[in-house]
Amino acid sequence: MPWSEILAQPLARRLGLLVLRRGSSGAFLLILAVLAVTAPNFLSPGNIANVFAQSAILGILAFGLTCVVIGGGSNVVAGGLDLSLAANLGLCAAVYSSLNNAGFDTVQAIGLTLLCGLAVGALNGFTVVVLRLPPLLATLASMNLIAGLELVLTQNSVLPTDSALLDTLAMGEWLQVPALAWMLLAVALLLGLLIQHSPYGLRLYAVGEYPEAARAAGLRVGLYVFSSYLIAGLCAGVAAFCSAAYFSGSTTGSGDMLLSVVAIAFLGVVFSRRLVANIPGTLLATLLLGFLINGFQLLNIASFWVNGVQGVLILLVVAMSSALRKEEGGL
Amino acid sequence: MTTLAATAVSRPLLSRLLRGILPLLIVAIVAFFSVAAPGFLSLGNLSSLVLNNFVLLAIVAIGMTWAVAAGGIDLSVGTAVDFASLAFVVLLNGGYGLVVAIPGALVAGALVGSFNAGLIAGLGITPFLATLGTLFIGTSVQQLLSDGGQPIYIAQPVLPGLTAVTWLGMPLPLWLVLAVATVYGVILARGRLGREILAVGTQVQLARYSGLSIRQISLKVFIASALACAVAGIVLSSTVNAYVPMSGNAFLINAIGAVFMGTTLSRTGRANIPGTLLGVLFINVIANGLLLIGWNFYWQQVATGGLILLVLAFSFASRRQSPSY
Repeated sequence: MPWSEILAQPLARRLGLLVLRRGSSGAFLLILAVLAVTAPNFLSPGNIANVFAQSAILGILAFGLTCVVIGGGSNVVAGGLDLSLAANLGLCAAVYSSLNNAGFDTVQAIGLTLLCGLAVGALNGFTVVVLRLPPLLATLASMNLIAGLELVLTQNSVLPTDSALLDTLAMGEWLQVPALAWMLLAVALLLGLLIQHSPYGLRLYAVGEYPEAARAAGLRVGLYVFSSYLIAGLCAGVAAFCSAAYFSGSTTGSGDMLLSVVAIAFLGVVFSRRLVANIPGTLLATLLLGFLINGFQLLNIASFWVNGVQGVLILLVVAMSSALRKEEGGL
Repeated sequence: MTTLAATAVSRPLLSRLLRGILPLLIVAIVAFFSVAAPGFLSLGNLSSLVLNNFVLLAIVAIGMTWAVAAGGIDLSVGTAVDFASLAFVVLLNGGYGLVVAIPGALVAGALVGSFNAGLIAGLGITPFLATLGTLFIGTSVQQLLSDGGQPIYIAQPVLPGLTAVTWLGMPLPLWLVLAVATVYGVILARGRLGREILAVGTQVQLARYSGLSIRQISLKVFIASALACAVAGIVLSSTVNAYVPMSGNAFLINAIGAVFMGTTLSRTGRANIPGTLLGVLFINVIANGLLLIGWNFYWQQVATGGLILLVLAFSFASRRQSPSY
C-alpha cells in the first residue's frame, strides 16, 4: 500500500501526524460549525449545557476505561481493557436504589455504592494481575457475572428511587449549568490532574507502554495495573449516581452503553500528540459524540444514524493512526 | 520459553489435569444435573438443548475460533448473522425460493466478512476495533432498513421448514453443525491454511519473516468467520420464521467465552474446534440444568459468568504465558 509507505517516512510521517492531530480537532470544529449553522438553537447556552449534562454518564465511564487502557497498554486484546464498566454502572445504580429504598441514610448508601464499584474493580484487577487472565476475557467474564447480579437484585425491572442527592444531580444548577455537567467536568478535572499531571499518572503511562522498563526502574507494575481497575470501578460507581439521577432510579439495559464507551475511549486517542489514550482527549471525544447526537435530534435526523456515524468515526480514526504506527505490525 | 519448559517438567500431572478441566467439568456437571434435575437426561430435554441452544451458538463460535486462532477477534459475528438472516427472509418473501435465498444469505454474510477483511487487511486496523466499527455500522444499517428494529416475518406460503428436515434420524441443523465443524476443524488442525493461521496467531512477526502473507490469511479468516455466521443466520431465521433485527448480537459474548474456554484443551493454548464445541456445550448444559433445577435466568447468568471465570483462571494459571506482573 503506497500511501502507508509514504506515511512511514520521517518527514511525511511528521506531516501525517500533524494533519491527523489538527485534522481531528479541525473535524471536530467543522462538525460543530455545520451543526451550528444548520441546527436551530444549537449554540444556545442552554443547549450546550444540556449536551454536557447528557454526556456525563458515558463520559465518566469512558474516563475509567481510559485509565485502564493507559495502565494496561493500548493493545486491545492483551493490553488494558475493561468491558465490565457498563455492567458495573448498572449494578451500582441498582445497589444504590435498593439501599436508598431500604432506608439507609445518605452517607451509608453512597459509601456502599462506591464500595460496590470498587469491589468490581478489585475483582477485575485480581483476575488480570494475580490470575493473569487477558483483560479482554477477564472483564468479559466479570461483565456476565455482574450483569447477572444486577438482574438478581432488580429482577430485570426498573427500581425507581428518589433522594435529595439525586434531586440535586438531576435538577440542580450552578451558574446556569446543570449539576450533571459539573459532575462531568469535575471528574475530568480530577482524573486529568491525577493522570496527566502527577507522578502517579506518569508512572501509569510507563507501566502501560513499557512494562519491562517500568519494572526495571523499580515500579511495582502489578500494583499500578490493579489501581487502574480500581479507578475504573470507582468511575462506574460515580457514573451510577448520574445515571440514577437521570433516570430517577436504576434502569435495565445499561450494558448497551459498553460499546459506545469503548468507542469513545479509543476515539479520544486521536486528540493526543503521541496518539495515546488521555483524559482530555476522552472528554473531547465524549463531547463530540454528545454534540453529534444532539445535532441530529435538533435536525430531526433519525437516531438510527448515530451508531453508523460512530462506527465510521472509529474506523477513520483508527485507520489513520494505525497507518502512522505501521511499525507495530501484527494482525 | 524457559518458564514454559520448567512448568512442563515440574508439574506434568497438574498441567495435564488442568488441560482436561473442561471435559471433566462437563462430565461432573452432567452427572450433577442428572441426579439433581429429574428429566435432565430425558430425550426430549436433551434434543431441545441441542437443537434450540447448541446449534446456533456452535456455528457462530466455530467462525469465531478461526478469528481467535489467527490472533484476532470478531466482534461483528452478530452483524453477519443478521445480514444473512435479512437477505434470506427478504429473498424468500420475494418468491425466489431456497435455491436463491440460501446462496443469497451466504453472500450477504460474506459481504460483512469482506468489509472486515478490507479494514483489517487493507487498512491495517486491529481486528477488535475494525469489527467493533462494523458492528456499529451494521446496527445502523439494520435500524434504517427495519424502521428501527421491526421484525420481518416469512410469509406463510414460503416457510422454509429447514429445521424440521431429518436425515438418517438426525435433524438437519445438527448435520449443519457437523459439516461446518468438520470443514473448519479439519482445515484448522490439518490443512495448510490452518497451519498458516496458527502461525500468524502465535508469532505474527515470525510468520511475516517466513514469507506468509498476513494480509491474505486475515482476508480468508474473516470471510470464513462471517460465512459460518451466515449459516447460523439461515438456521436462525428458519427456526423463528422471521428476521429479527440485531438478534445476532446475543451470541457474541458466549461465542468468545466458548472459544477461549476451548483453548484450555490445547497444550499450547491455541483456539481449536473440538475445544470450542465443548465450550459451547459447557455453557448450554449449565444454562439448561440450572433452569431445570429451578434457578431463574438471572441466577443462571451469575453462575455461568462465575464458572467461565473459573475455567479461564485455571487454564491461564496453568499456562503462565501471559505477561507476568
